Amino acid sequence: MVQCVNHLATDRSPVVDPSTPFVVLKFGGTSVSRRHRWENIAHLMRERLAAGQAVVTVVSALSGVTDALKAIAALHRDAAAMAAAAEALIERHRSFAGELGLDPEILEARAGRLRQLVADPRAPEGGHAWQARLMAEGELCSSTLGAHFLRSLGLDVEWLDARDYLTSREQPIQTEWMRYHSAQCEPRPSAAVREALLARARAFITQGFIAREGRGRTVLLGRGGSDTSASYFGALLGACRVEIWTDVPGMFSANPKLVPDARLLRRLDYDEAQEIATTGAKVLHPRAIGPVRETRVPLWIKDTERPALAGTEIVPEALQAAPSVKAVSLRNRITLVSMESIGMWQQVGFLADVFAIFKRHGLSVDLIGSAETNVTVSLDPSDNLLDAGVLEALCGDLAQVCRVKVIAPCAAVTLVGRGMRAMMHRLGELLAEVGARRVHLVSQSSNNLNLTFVIDEADADGIVPMLHAALVRARLTGADGDPVFGPSWQAIAGEEAPRLQRWWEERQRELLKLAAREPTPFYVYSGQTVAARAERLNALSAVDRRFYAIKANPHPEILRALAAAGFGMECVSAGELAHVQATLPELPPERILFTPNFAPRAEYVAALAAGVHLTVDNLSILADWPELFAGRPILLRLDLGRGLGHHDKVRTGGEKSKFGIAAGDLGEALALAHTAGARVVGLHAHLGSGILDIAHWKAVHGELAALAERVPSVAVIDIGGGLGVPNEPGELPLSMAALDAALTEVKALYPRFELWIEPGRYLVAEAGVVLTRVTQVKRKGQTRFVGVDAGMHTLIRPALYEAWHEIVHLAALAEPGQERVQVVGPICESGDVLGEDRLLPPCNEDDVLLIANAGAYGAAMASRYNLRGLPVEVYRDDL
Amino acid sequence: MTISERPSAQRFRFTRAVYEAGVVELGYAFDEGPELIERISFPGAPESVPEGRGVAFARALALLHGIAGVSYYKALLPPEIIVDGEPFDAALAALLEQVYLHGLGEFAHENHLDLRGRIHFPAGPAAHAASELGLPRRALVPIGGGKDSLVSVELLRQAGEPFAVTWVGRSELIRACAVATGQPMLAIGRELAPELFELNRQGAWNGHIPVTAINSAILVCAALLYGYDAIVFSNEASASVGNLEHGGIEVNHQWSKGLVFENALAEYIDAHIAADLRYYSLLRPLSELAVAQRFAGLTRYHALFSSCNRNFRLLGERPSARWCGQCPKCRFVFLALAPFLAKPALLAIFGRNLLDEPEQIEGFEALAEFGAAKPFECVGEGRESRAAFARLAERADWREDVVVRHYAEAIAPAIAPPPDIATLLAPHGSHRIPERLWALLA
Repeated sequence: MVQCVNHLATDRSPVVDPSTPFVVLKFGGTSVSRRHRWENIAHLMRERLAAGQAVVTVVSALSGVTDALKAIAALHRDAAAMAAAAEALIERHRSFAGELGLDPEILEARAGRLRQLVADPRAPEGGHAWQARLMAEGELCSSTLGAHFLRSLGLDVEWLDARDYLTSREQPIQTEWMRYHSAQCEPRPSAAVREALLARARAFITQGFIAREGRGRTVLLGRGGSDTSASYFGALLGACRVEIWTDVPGMFSANPKLVPDARLLRRLDYDEAQEIATTGAKVLHPRAIGPVRETRVPLWIKDTERPALAGTEIVPEALQAAPSVKAVSLRNRITLVSMESIGMWQQVGFLADVFAIFKRHGLSVDLIGSAETNVTVSLDPSDNLLDAGVLEALCGDLAQVCRVKVIAPCAAVTLVGRGMRAMMHRLGELLAEVGARRVHLVSQSSNNLNLTFVIDEADADGIVPMLHAALVRARLTGADGDPVFGPSWQAIAGEEAPRLQRWWEERQRELLKLAAREPTPFYVYSGQTVAARAERLNALSAVDRRFYAIKANPHPEILRALAAAGFGMECVSAGELAHVQATLPELPPERILFTPNFAPRAEYVAALAAGVHLTVDNLSILADWPELFAGRPILLRLDLGRGLGHHDKVRTGGEKSKFGIAAGDLGEALALAHTAGARVVGLHAHLGSGILDIAHWKAVHGELAALAERVPSVAVIDIGGGLGVPNEPGELPLSMAALDAALTEVKALYPRFELWIEPGRYLVAEAGVVLTRVTQVKRKGQTRFVGVDAGMHTLIRPALYEAWHEIVHLAALAEPGQERVQVVGPICESGDVLGEDRLLPPCNEDDVLLIANAGAYGAAMASRYNLRGLPVEVYRDDL
Repeated sequence: MTISERPSAQRFRFTRAVYEAGVVELGYAFDEGPELIERISFPGAPESVPEGRGVAFARALALLHGIAGVSYYKALLPPEIIVDGEPFDAALAALLEQVYLHGLGEFAHENHLDLRGRIHFPAGPAAHAASELGLPRRALVPIGGGKDSLVSVELLRQAGEPFAVTWVGRSELIRACAVATGQPMLAIGRELAPELFELNRQGAWNGHIPVTAINSAILVCAALLYGYDAIVFSNEASASVGNLEHGGIEVNHQWSKGLVFENALAEYIDAHIAADLRYYSLLRPLSELAVAQRFAGLTRYHALFSSCNRNFRLLGERPSARWCGQCPKCRFVFLALAPFLAKPALLAIFGRNLLDEPEQIEGFEALAEFGAAKPFECVGEGRESRAAFARLAERADWREDVVVRHYAEAIAPAIAPPPDIATLLAPHGSHRIPERLWALLA
């Protein structure tokens, strides 16, 4: 056999130095299911052997095998079906042996054992012990294949049965299921084991997920069990490190799927890592940290596809850096149990009694909040909790001693970072975001490591990206120079936005000339950029009509350019309507859409007289002014109740809430329209602004169509505006092709509807810049200010929305920044800050600065505040 | 812009119905206007009708032509109905009059119309009796992405019956449920005549139509084309109960899901189309609660299905992409499943707790038929909702939720005690389920 030849070919050293350090490597299912991945494992083992280390490699079962074994176990009553499924599984392994260039017969012993197990007299009962023994075959097979393959590559590898080294211990409250399916071990560093192994070889392969209980029966380590096995071996061998090789680069400051600019966490201490793993990160099972923490063995998370990347190191002491929030995470499906009673806490032992009830029902409490008359605890979504009867029985027992209420489904949002309380004063924006939702519990432990908010699950949509962005803005996460934070996910994945060439970079000289002519501050609009954006939107094949939301920038030349590009105009006031009519007298009324909000009646009268499309966003005007709408086609603007809009308090109090008719009131709106004699021909929803997530567009389009389908007179779906424009460097632009594909997909499901959009910002934001001159500079303590003649009267977005606009020194575009400065305007308001902490080359009086992405809601929102006058606007179609 | 006058017509014409190469074309017209063509496509169906089934298929096609016409007829409600070619046979004409009158009951009520005496189908001679066609023993099971049909699927699987799941129209959500059943799938395409949308835009009458009747007729054609000997729907007992009375006629939102229609169609099929093609509803003797109880155990569908009356067709991971949480269907399914599921499992399905939202009180009162009529939706009977509430009011994990408290404090004292939930779970009432499957329910 191949194995023997290679065995002889290796340069095995007869005696291994007993002080040789061990490294434990762990590889999951996807890493052991392909030949090239095994070659990679061999390479990594060789590297460590060459560095003078001994290696124990822990492997999972091949991808899908554990599930297949579970399925076999579920067939325990059907011997024939079990046998057939077992044969299929054996065949899968034999064929993989073939792929590895091995003789499939090497699996005969394992195959025999599997056949025995399905034919076992214990099988029909399907008991836990039998199940565990059956499931163990996955890892036993994969490690057997691995051992032979590694030897075939010339590595001298010994196969170890993990069960000979890992023994589970009895838990205080342990069901049969837990004993066999979720066992725990407590390995202590053992010099004897080290020496015994080193006497045999320097490289070993063994199984993850499996161990033995006291009487020698096979047990499983539960979910994430292979990570735990690696950690156990690390502890047992006093390894110099455990490396978990997986398919992601490490732990991140947030789930990269939700937050593409989440940052890789280079180094964490055990406590932080444990907290992050427990509160959301899926990369490492939290159980895997305990054993290495006890023995102070470093644990590294490494990416199989990117072996050169540093990954995450979990070590006894983290890097010394300013306090920072390492991660924000979210757990859904949290159940709160609120226990209310007057004055009960004075009773000695009351809480002990209460917690005894939880214990009796096998439920472990996670978070706790208390007041004089209330104690509220959280329960994680365990299998046990989903069992019919458990929560019911718990509440029944609790009701004997207090009033009990279940609050669910909830989501727990956790910030993790050592020294949380020292950062409280910088969490203002974040707390405001959280506070806009229904918060049921806040918890902060005395070890100062976390801060958790339990909110309604329905309010949790989108909260992680929002909080992560707030943390970045507050420089609590990923601040410049903080060594904990590595590259962002999108940078690692190569999805980072390519540095876009901005039109004003190429037109630097012309802009400087312009600045020499025009009195600053003034706006410059690039007609070519407007045309280019219009072209992109015209290329969306799923869209039937496009209306430009002129409130973004009603400059007459922009209206003309967009009308020429085929766009209709969307107006929100009689003033805008008159402006469009004056600027574009030829534009037929059917290309104008009037979408007012709380406008006086006369404006509706004017719009209806003009014969333009009309959107109604209020039930009461249909009821109160029916004569206005008689015989008219109208669109209804709906609030789909997504995200914050779902929340009553926000709906009545938030700034977005005054728009739209609640989707639940659609029936009433239709009835009122019917009574008024109006016909509802379209449904409209505006999703917000700056949305870069395609899935969001698709979902909302789908929801609106699902609603519209029940209204036969509806022919149009208007998904509003809100197409995102990348703002900060590194943000990915919205892919128009992907957006079109998503919209087309929805349209195919609901072919009946025309699709309209009403973009504003997308068309003009990048086209406009503000040119402004430096007035004076100032130093105050550590802070340096650069004063410019533009201010919040010129561009109010930074003050109003905390919008970030890039600011550059126009004459020195290529020069690197030297100093961090506050770019401020001349208005007597402390909020008149255009840019905070900007890295700029030296600025002197009269230097020209350019403020980018100012084409939308810039001049349109300019004011005469402080009587500084309105900015001039220059439209250039040659730029 | 103003809207034009409601369009009108004197005559509704059935112009033609043809099958060719997997596609049925159904033609209709108003007066001498352009033909409105509906297309139904049967993927992978034979080029022409299988031998020996020609006569039967011609009758099935006439049935489909007749029933599917209701979507167009109701747009203008012309006083006269004309069949351009051979008239419908007498039995079919009588069946169609029933389908149009009762199937448009809710439509008439909502539009304040009286259709009695208005709908007359010209009747041809009686059709010859149908013969047995030797159809293969396998069933077509229509699924809609909701809980009911998935309960049927599991019952049939349990009984070892050969069957395929089928649906009409494109829907990612239904497809995902179909895939999860692991059964063979048949996705039938249906395209309404685009002119109908134009008529709707111009202000044609619109409202609820008996879509189950249309789908049933489509499946009769499918059964003959592909060879199935049964069409198994999943309508429950409560579908036969009316919502209210309008102009002396009981109005039932789900009339074409009720037993009267089932019997009428099954008898017509048996007598005039194919004597060995069965049409029945497997859940007919079950209450909505009994179906909910069975569905509670089918956890593999819990994260996929939707019974919401917003017709969600996209696949969304979040519960809010499948459940609006604001319609009677969402409320009823939530309430009906609650007694049979662990509370966290139920809340995971919906992503929220509808029974702890004060603004839902009115909607749940309507389900319990307390102070309001049963909503025009496919929801269970009032006593089923009351029985579910009574059970929840006893449960310590539910009774503090606002709607449950409202039931206990404001509704329960004002109504007769509802029947115990257990009494509503036993099969009852008439049905057409074959003997060999009856044991599944008993």
